[in-house]
Amino acid sequence: MNIYDIIFYLFAAITLVSGFFVVSTKNIVHAGFYLLFTLFGVAGLYVLLGADFIAIVQLLVYVGGILILLLFGVMLTNKITSVDLRSGTSYIIPAVIGVGILWGALTAVLFKTSWRSKAPSGMDPTTSEIGRLLITDYVLVFELLGILLLVALIGAASIARRDKE
Amino acid sequence: MREYLKNTWLGIWTVLVGMKITFKHLFIPAVTIQYPDVKVPLPERVRNRLYVNMDDCIGCDQCARACPVNCITIETVKGLPTDDLGITSNGKKKALWVTKFDIDFAKCCYCQLCVFPCPTECIYMTDIYEFSEFKRNDLHYNFSTLSTDEGEEKKLNWEKFQAEKEAQKAAAAKQKAEKPAPEKKESTDKSKSAGE
Amino acid sequence: MFEFLSDLFGSQIIAAFISAALPLVFIVPFVIFAVWLERKVSAHMQDRLGPMRVGWHGWLQTIADFFKLLQKEDIVASDTDKKFFNVAPYIVFAGTYLVFAALPFSSAYIGTSLDIGLFYIIAVSGLVVIGILMAGWASNNKYSLYGAMRSAAQIVSYEIPTAIVILSIVMFTGTLSLSEISDNQTAYFWNWYIFGGPDWGLTKFLVLPFMIIGFLILYISTLAEVNRTPFDMPEAESELVAGYHTEYSGIKFSMFFLAEYGNMFAVSAIVSVIFFGGYQSPIGYLGDALAANWLIPFEQLFWFAAKGIFFVFVQMWLRWTLPRVRVDQLMTLCWKYLIPYSIVNLIIIGIITLI
Repeated sequence: MNIYDIIFYLFAAITLVSGFFVVSTKNIVHAGFYLLFTLFGVAGLYVLLGADFIAIVQLLVYVGGILILLLFGVMLTNKITSVDLRSGTSYIIPAVIGVGILWGALTAVLFKTSWRSKAPSGMDPTTSEIGRLLITDYVLVFELLGILLLVALIGAASIARRDKE
Repeated sequence: MREYLKNTWLGIWTVLVGMKITFKHLFIPAVTIQYPDVKVPLPERVRNRLYVNMDDCIGCDQCARACPVNCITIETVKGLPTDDLGITSNGKKKALWVTKFDIDFAKCCYCQLCVFPCPTECIYMTDIYEFSEFKRNDLHYNFSTLSTDEGEEKKLNWEKFQAEKEAQKAAAAKQKAEKPAPEKKESTDKSKSAGE
Repeated sequence: MFEFLSDLFGSQIIAAFISAALPLVFIVPFVIFAVWLERKVSAHMQDRLGPMRVGWHGWLQTIADFFKLLQKEDIVASDTDKKFFNVAPYIVFAGTYLVFAALPFSSAYIGTSLDIGLFYIIAVSGLVVIGILMAGWASNNKYSLYGAMRSAAQIVSYEIPTAIVILSIVMFTGTLSLSEISDNQTAYFWNWYIFGGPDWGLTKFLVLPFMIIGFLILYISTLAEVNRTPFDMPEAESELVAGYHTEYSGIKFSMFFLAEYGNMFAVSAIVSVIFFGGYQSPIGYLGDALAANWLIPFEQLFWFAAKGIFFVFVQMWLRWTLPRVRVDQLMTLCWKYLIPYSIVNLIIIGIITLI
């Protein structure tokens, strides 16, 4: 058991425990704060996989952007913080069916995929490779995502615009 | 657009002007006076703690009467005719033992009204202003040079003298009623020895 | 440094812990010094003297204050959200500390020589916002919540111009690694990026004014990100008591303090790395002249600290020069001035880089 194993289990534990708290807590703000630890743990796992760029994008986009906006929205929304989330069991039979199907699909993927496993080597910089792929192989997707974001931005601006009356 | 660029330039420029001013002040010597080490020179005729020069005090009680907050307490006992109480610096002969001269600085309002009526100028303001205490009673200053015991003694002396005088007077009146007799001189001699 | 330590102790784990704890050795003395400097600078700018009693010109004052804070009762109000209330200061400090992990202190010590150091620094500084939001919300105090909301709005807004300016620098230099950016600006001060970078030619003179604009934008927006005056809305004393750390006392309060001053140094260091050569000396090394190679890393540490402290001093200087801006002015400055300028700057620097 070397140091990377310990770190892996640490991050995995952080992710799982805080993820459990996210779904089990009844306070929406608490859920948001627990989500911080979940996202942070996932970022740590990405680092261990050698995907440093993705890990940092995870932090930047999810922790620095989405989570803050989420908490911001929750805090700005009147009375939402005092609402108790329902996390008891209500529709038990449909839930069991849904979870069973999802579980089956995940295990199928887990066993069907031929995992490429290789010994952990030194971290290679992934940034330039990602950049090259985005401009060559995945340029269409990249451009489409750019247009989508632009549309969303313009939409947000037009909604937020105050009418001149 | 012109307005926009002008605003930008103005924003940067005014910040730089402000920074220049504050930077200059960085090197201007501080106006702070480091108090317990360095003290501001007090103006003339400043009003601070009172002091009573008991050598000059004739116990006239004028200061106590002038005091608007009654912070001065004076008790006096008349000196015996044979006592030598000394003279004040301006040549007045003292006639009263000042057995108690207390000033309560917790009450004092530093109005200086007690200073003016004093005929011998023995009560005056000093330049001491740091005399804070932890207990209020510690602000009660006793200026009298006589101790309590001495004060008691003077009082007793006076009472004795008075009583003797009364007795003499009564005796004299009695004698007068009966017949005049030269007894008086002996009794004054007696009281004198007692006074000493 | 990590290799050296792991050789020394024969264990990677011990070496990792020691290597990770090293920035703390820098942060704590720096914060103690910076608080003293702040008090002296503010005092002298207002023609006062500041602390004079403890030690020579009061230099031991902050150490005394530090011990006072450690001894203070740790008050937790009864209606706070205890769990998050207790954890928030440490998250704020962790956010600061994570930034220090990627700062190149000298060529011999850099916490982790990431290839994406700049990107990493932008990302982890988001953690501070979460900590502040957590502190403000968990305090269950309306002033704390106001402070936290303002802080979040402010930091999220000002991250945009910061990121755009950094992006333009990344375009110009072609690297995200902080140590590589520092090494590019070696030798003398005219190789700094604020003066157009190390390559002589037309590009250097074309890019120079835009680098200065970029520096101004970056400095202003990082100033706003660390919540310093004139952008100290989140802890505006006259309006919000103390903002998000109103309810904190003792050691937790000192954690916020440590994080605030640590952040000040971190952003100053980033500015100095990007535009002012980082740990590189502006006038050449004494170690080269004396043929003593071991001296160079120490000199670099000195230059790094000196540049950082100089920009911290400028932050203090601005603090005692400018009054606090209003919330709407804050947002106007960011969205209507800094962001358009930084985008235009980005485009121009991009074009210059291409030619």
